[in-house]
Amino acid sequence: MVEAVDDKLILEIDGKEVRVPFGTLILDAAKEVDVTIPTFCYQARLSGIGSCRMCIVEIEGQKKLQPACITPVMDGMKIATNSETVVSARRSMLEFLLSNHAKDCPVCDKAGECELQDMVYSHGQRKSKFEEKKISLHVKDYIISPVIIKNSNRCVQCVRCVRVCREVVGRGVLGSVGRGAYQEETSFRKGELDCDSCGMCIEVCPVGCFMRLPYRYKARPWDLKSAISVCPYCATGCKTTLQERDGEVVRSIAFKGLGFNDWLMCARGRFGYDILNSDKRLTKPLRKKGDGFEEISWSEAMGMISAEFAKTSPEKRGGVATASLPNEELFFFQKLMREAMGTPNLDSTSRWSGDTAGAYMAATAINEGGRTIYKAVNSDTVFVLGTQLSEENPVIDYIVRHVTDSGRSNLVIVSPRAMKLDATAHQSLRHTPGELAKFLNALILCLYEGDAGGLASLEEVGLSSKVSIAELAKLAGVTVDELRQLSMRLKRSETISILAGTDILKLDQGARGLRLLKLALEAMGKRLRILPILDRANQRGAWGMGVHPSLGPGFSPLSDDEKGLDCYGMLEAAAAGEMDLMYVIGEDIAGMYPDRAFAEDALSKVGFLIVQETFMTDTALKADLILPGALAGEKTGTFTNQVGRVQNLAPIQSPPGGARIDLDIMGDIASTVSKGFMDDGCTDIFGCIQKVVPSYLNIDNKSTGKDCGSVISTDVSLEAFFNVAESPGAVPTEEYPLRLITGNHLFYSGNLSSYSDILGSLLKEPVAEVGPETAKALGLEDGQNINVASEGYLDSFRLKISKGTPAGVVFIAENYEDKPINRFFKRGETIPLVKITS
Amino acid sequence: MLSDCAKEKIKKIYGNYSDLHSVSMTAMQIVQREIGHLTKEDLIEIAEMLDMKPIELDEIGGFYTMYNVERPVGKYHVQVCENLPCALVGAEHIITVIERHLKIKVGETTADKRYTLSRVQCLGSCGTAPMMQVNEEFYEDLTERNVIEILDGFE
Amino acid sequence: MAVEKILLHNVDKPNSHKLDTYLAGGGYEDLRKALAMGRDDLVQLVKDSGLRGRGGAGFPAGLKWSFIPKDPSLQKYLCCNADEGEPGTFKDRIIIEKDPHLLIEGMAITCHAINSDKSYIYIRGEFEYGAQILEQAIEEAYEKGYLGKNIMGTDFSLDMYVHRGYGAYICGEETALLESIEGYRGQPRKKPPFPALAGLNGKPTVINNVESLACIPGIIRKGSKWFANMGPEKSPGPKLFCVSGHIEKPGVYELPMGTTGREIIYEVCGGIKAGRKFKAVIPGGVTAPMLVEKDLDLSMDFDTMAQAGSMLGSGAVIVMDDTTCMVRTSYIINRFFSHESCGKCTPCREGTIWMTQILERMENGEGRPGDVEELERLCDNIFGRTFCPLGDGAVMALRGCLKHFREEFVYHVENGRCMVKGGF
Ligand SMILES: Cc1cc2nc3c(=O)[nH]c(=O)nc-3n(C[C@H](O)[C@H](O)[C@H](O)COP(=O)(O)O)c2cc1C
Ligand code: SF4
Ligand code: FES
Repeated sequence: MVEAVDDKLILEIDGKEVRVPFGTLILDAAKEVDVTIPTFCYQARLSGIGSCRMCIVEIEGQKKLQPACITPVMDGMKIATNSETVVSARRSMLEFLLSNHAKDCPVCDKAGECELQDMVYSHGQRKSKFEEKKISLHVKDYIISPVIIKNSNRCVQCVRCVRVCREVVGRGVLGSVGRGAYQEETSFRKGELDCDSCGMCIEVCPVGCFMRLPYRYKARPWDLKSAISVCPYCATGCKTTLQERDGEVVRSIAFKGLGFNDWLMCARGRFGYDILNSDKRLTKPLRKKGDGFEEISWSEAMGMISAEFAKTSPEKRGGVATASLPNEELFFFQKLMREAMGTPNLDSTSRWSGDTAGAYMAATAINEGGRTIYKAVNSDTVFVLGTQLSEENPVIDYIVRHVTDSGRSNLVIVSPRAMKLDATAHQSLRHTPGELAKFLNALILCLYEGDAGGLASLEEVGLSSKVSIAELAKLAGVTVDELRQLSMRLKRSETISILAGTDILKLDQGARGLRLLKLALEAMGKRLRILPILDRANQRGAWGMGVHPSLGPGFSPLSDDEKGLDCYGMLEAAAAGEMDLMYVIGEDIAGMYPDRAFAEDALSKVGFLIVQETFMTDTALKADLILPGALAGEKTGTFTNQVGRVQNLAPIQSPPGGARIDLDIMGDIASTVSKGFMDDGCTDIFGCIQKVVPSYLNIDNKSTGKDCGSVISTDVSLEAFFNVAESPGAVPTEEYPLRLITGNHLFYSGNLSSYSDILGSLLKEPVAEVGPETAKALGLEDGQNINVASEGYLDSFRLKISKGTPAGVVFIAENYEDKPINRFFKRGETIPLVKITS
Repeated sequence: MLSDCAKEKIKKIYGNYSDLHSVSMTAMQIVQREIGHLTKEDLIEIAEMLDMKPIELDEIGGFYTMYNVERPVGKYHVQVCENLPCALVGAEHIITVIERHLKIKVGETTADKRYTLSRVQCLGSCGTAPMMQVNEEFYEDLTERNVIEILDGFE
Repeated sequence: MAVEKILLHNVDKPNSHKLDTYLAGGGYEDLRKALAMGRDDLVQLVKDSGLRGRGGAGFPAGLKWSFIPKDPSLQKYLCCNADEGEPGTFKDRIIIEKDPHLLIEGMAITCHAINSDKSYIYIRGEFEYGAQILEQAIEEAYEKGYLGKNIMGTDFSLDMYVHRGYGAYICGEETALLESIEGYRGQPRKKPPFPALAGLNGKPTVINNVESLACIPGIIRKGSKWFANMGPEKSPGPKLFCVSGHIEKPGVYELPMGTTGREIIYEVCGGIKAGRKFKAVIPGGVTAPMLVEKDLDLSMDFDTMAQAGSMLGSGAVIVMDDTTCMVRTSYIINRFFSHESCGKCTPCREGTIWMTQILERMENGEGRPGDVEELERLCDNIFGRTFCPLGDGAVMALRGCLKHFREEFVYHVENGRCMVKGGF
C-alpha cells in the first residue's frame, strides 16, 4: 500500500493515480481524473442512497461491485470503472430499469431531455429481453397539483423527488408508497398536494414521471427557443431559462450549473412566466376619456406629454419607477427625472419612506459590496431577522435549510410569525409585530450583561440601557430566557450572518436596532455578514442607481438642497394639490401604499399622471396617460440581486402590439421634455453607470449566460440616515384587539405575479390566519368565514388557524385579487389594529 | 375518528422512544385493530398526533403488508401461508378447500363481510404446517377437515 | 441423540413462560454473575466462547459487541432481532413463547456488556401472541427488579421495549430493522456507517438474533470453554435446528453445531415422511442453496455449509422428498423474494419479479425455449450487484436448484409439465 501524504489518500482509478482527502466518494475522486461514472439516483446535493446501481464499480479484492456514489475511497484502492464486468452490470441495470418502464417515449413530454433515454443511448442494451407482462401502477396519468401531472409507469425509482421535497424544499409531501416493484413515489393517497408548488420534483425527475401540467403536450424540447434571464419575482435573483415555441412562452426552467441557484427555483419563478403570454397586457398608449380610456398613437402620447409638461414647474414634478426594472432603465430614469425634468423628486417604491430605506441601507451596509449566500449560510450562526424567508425568498429558504440541516451551521429565526424554516431552526423566536426595535435592544442588553463598559460605549451610539431586559422582553413579546439563549448562541459563534429582510423596511423600524447589533457583535470580535433580503427583483440595483430622493448614483449622499421628495412625500404633496406631474413606471402605488384611500385620492389630484405599465393596475386606472411598457422577458439589461450579484437579462420575445421597451419610451420622453437631451445621450448606458457608480466597475455586462460579477465596496457614509425617528409600535385597544401583519405570499410577490394565471390557479381563496389561542378566544373554527375590520375598512376572508401565528396577531397575504388589504391601513401606520367578527 | 381509547393507548407508548416518529408503526397497529383497517382520516389524525406528515404514514401503510389502508377486510381475515414448508405439505390444497368452502377467491371478502381470504408468506410455523392466521390467532397442522371446522367454529 | 438442553431447557415445563418457572430453574442468576463482572471481561468471555450469530450471517457475537464505543456519555442500544422471517425458521418463536425470560436475561447481560440502558425487541407483527408473552414477561421482570433502575442493587439500569413489525421480511436485515423501529419503511441503510457506530437514532447499536442472545446466560453459567468445545472449533455451541417439509417428525431440535444432515433427518426426525425417498434439503432457510444426497454427511455448521456452496443460515432445514417438483419449488421461493423485495435497488426490485414471472409461466406449462438460459442470465445480472443480501439470496436459491436439477426446468419448458410424478 502507498503511504498517504498530506491528509490525502492515494488510490488508483482506471489506472490513474488520484489523491483525495479522507471521506471523498469514489464518484468524486473519479471526477478528479476526468473519469465520468454514470449515475441516476445520485444528486450532488441530496442524501446519497446508492439504490439505482448505475454507478457500480469494481474494487480490487472485493467480490461485490460497489456504488461509487456512496462509497468513500480508501487508501490504496484500485478501482475499475470500465471493466467488462462493470460495463455489463451497467447495461443490465438499464435493462432492469426498462423492463417495467412504460417505454412510451413518442408521447412523453420528457423525450429528448430524458436521462433514461440518454443513458440507454450511451450505455444500453438497446434491446431488452424482457417479454413478461409489465407492472402497471395506474392506467391514466393523474393530476396531483394544478402544476403537476404524474405517470408513475415511467418511474425509475431514483426517489429524487421525495428527497428534494424533504431535504431541500422542506415540505415532505411526497413519499414512496408500496413495496418492491409496486413502489410508487406520489402524494398522500395520490390526492391533491398541499404544497409549495415549487415543481422541484418535476425538475429533478430524470424521466417523464413528474411532469409540468401547464407544459403538457405543448412542445418538444428540440422545438424550443431559449433565452437566459433572471426571475423577476424577488431579489434572490434566480437564473431562469425562458423557452418559447411559436410565439408562446411555454416554460421557465432552472438549469444545473447556471446561476447561483443552480437547479433551484420556486413556484413563482417556475410557473409565473405566463404573464408574458397574458392577453391582459397593455398594448397601446391610452388617454383618459371620461370614465374610460381611448387608444392613441405614440406620437399623440408624446404630444400630450410635451403640452402638459410645459404647464408644470420642476418642484411639482416627480416620478416613481419600480425596483423591478433593470439597472440601465433605472439609471436612465433618475437621469431623466433629475436632469431632463429637472426635479429631485423620485423614488423606487411606494411601500416605505425614503428615510426608512436609507436607514436600512445603512444598517445592512449595502455600500459594502456583494456577498455570496453560500458563504453566508456556512457561518457558525445564520440569523434570520425581519423576513418571512420561506414565503418571500423561497430559494434562499431552500439553501439555508439544506446547509444548516446538514449540521454545518446554527440557524436562528426571529420573526413575528411561524415559517416553514422553523422546523429546521435551532431556535425560533416570535416577537410582537412592530416591536422589532425593542427586541433588538433587549438582545443587545443580554449580550452585554455584566459588561458595563461595553454597554456604555454602545450607549454613546444610541443604545437605550435605561430599560430593563425584562421590561423590553415583555414589550417585545419574548421571554428573557429565550433572549439569553439566543445571546449565548451568538456569543459562541465566531462568524455570524444576519439575513435582514423587508419587515425592517415595511415596519418602519428595526434598522437602528440592527445597526446597534452590528456594532455590538463587532465589538465582541465576531465576523459579521449582513445580507439584505429583499422582495423586488432589482431593489438593490434601484438604490445603487440613485433612484432615491436623498441618494445619487453609487449611494452618494445628496446635499440638503439636492434632496427631493420620496413617494410618500409626493403623495402628500399631490393630496394638497401640489403635484403637477407624476411619471410612474411599473409601481402600483394605489395597490401598495399603506392607505389605499389616501393614495387613490392623492393620485387623482395629480395634475398630469403618466403611468407606464404592462397591465391595467389600480394606479393605471387613475392615469391621464398610460404608456404600454415591457416585461423582463422582453428586454435586455441587468439586475442586481439582493446580495450584489449582477446578472444579465435576455429577451425571449418582443413587447406585444404597440408596447415598447421602457428605456426607449423614457428616451422619447427625455427628448420631448428637454430638446437635445438625447443628443449627447450615451448609447452605452452601462458604461455611463460605471463612470458614476464605482461599485459596478468590476462588472462585465457583456457576459451572456454566466454572471456578470458582483458589486464591490464603495466608500460612502450612510450614517446620517440613523437620525430618523422610528414610529412607535401599535397598542391594541379593546375595540381593535388584534395586530394585522401583511406580507408577500409564496405564490405572489408584487402586482406582476397577480397576472399569472398559473400562479392564480395555485392560490386558494383569500385567507386570514390566526393562531389557535386567538381562534379559541374568539370562538372561531378553521375554515369559517369571518370579517376583518379596521377602523376604516372591513373585508371578509376564510379563517385559517395556523399553529405558528402568535396570539393577538392576524396575517393576511398581500396581492389577493379583490382584497385590497392596504385599505386596512391608515397613513403613517405600520401595524393596523383590527378585530375579527364572524 | 380515532377513539379516545386508541389515543390513550398511543400516548402510553410515547415514552418508549426517543422520537415520536418511532411511535407511528405501533400507533397505526393500535388503530387498525379497532375495525380491521385504516382509513385515510385515521392516517391524517395519527399524523397530527405524532407531528408527522400524512404521507409518511401512507408510506408505512403501503410497505408493511399487515396494514390494510383503505382496504376493509372481513370480520375474520383468513391468511394462509403459501411459502415452501407449508406448500410442501399441502398449503395449496388448503387454500382451494377454503376458497370452495367460503365461495370466494384469494383476495376477496365474502358477501356477508365475515371472511377475507389472503395468501401470506412464512409465518414461522413450518414445523406445524400447513397453517393459517385468522386475525391474530395461528391455526396449525391444518387438514382438509379441521380447516372447515375452524372456519365454521367462528361465531 | 440425547444432548443436554440449554436453550430448550425450560420449554416443556408447565407454565414455562412464567417468571417463577424460570427462577426455579436458576433463572437470572447468570445476570447476577455477569453484573459482578467487568464489561471487558464479559465481552472477552463471549469472544472466547466462539459464539457466532444465529440470525444467519454467523458473525462472532463478542467481536460485534467490542465495536461499540466505550464513551459512557453516548447512548447505546441493543436491538434483539426477533423478526424470524426466513421461510422454514421457527426457532426464535419457541424461545419467545415458551421461555421469554431466557431471552430477557440474555439481553440484560448483553446490555451490561455494551453499557446500554435501552433495548428493543423487534418482533414480527404476526407473532402477536409471542409479543404479548414478551410484554408480560418484561412486566414481570420489571416488578421483580430484573429490569428497570439499579438492577440487583448495582448501578446498572435497563429499559426494554417490544416493537412490532407488521409484515416485511426485509426488516430482518439489521439496518432495515432500525429504520422500522424509527418508524420508516424498512429499507436497508447504506454502510458505512455500521450500526455499531451509528445505528438506532444514529447511536451505537448492537443487533443480535434471539437465539444468539439466548445462548448468553448459558455461556456465563457454564463458561466459554464448555461452549467452545461443543461442535466444530470455528463454529461451536448448541444450535436450534428447525426441521420442516417432508419429514416424519418436524419441529425444533437443540443439537450441537456440526450434527450432520443425515443424523438430523434420519436419527432425530424419524426420516422422510411416509417412507418416501429423499430428494434434496435446504439447510438454512430458503435463501440457502439446496443440498442433495451426497452432501448429507456434511457437518452442519457455518463454515462447512459455506464450503459446500450453501449456508447454515438460520438452521432452517427444509426436507424435500422425491415427489417434489423443483420448478414449483423455485417458483414458490422466488415468489417470496419478489414479494419481499423492498424496492430500493434496481436489480432486486426489477430482477426478482422478472424471474418470478418466468418461473410462473414455466410452472403453468407456458415455458418458452430459452427461459432457462434467461433465468441464468438474470441470476448473473442480479448477483453481487444488489444493495443488500436479499437480492443475492433470491439468486442463490435459484442457482442452487438449477445446479442440481436443471433438467427438470428444461423438461418443464419442453413438455409444459412436471418431470416428477406425485403429490407436489
Ligand atoms: C434479508 C435478510 C433477512 C434477515 N432476516 C433475519 C431474521 O429474520 N432474523 C434474524 O435474526 N436475522 C435476520 N437477518 C440477519 C440480520 O441482518 C443480522 O445479521 C442478525 O440479526 C444479526 O444477529 P446475529 O449476529 O445474532 O445473528 C437477515 C438478514 C437479511 C439480509
Ligand atoms: S436487494 Fe435491494 S431491493 Fe432487494 S431488499 Fe435489498 S435493498 Fe431492497
Ligand atoms: S447513482 Fe450510485 S447507486 Fe444510483
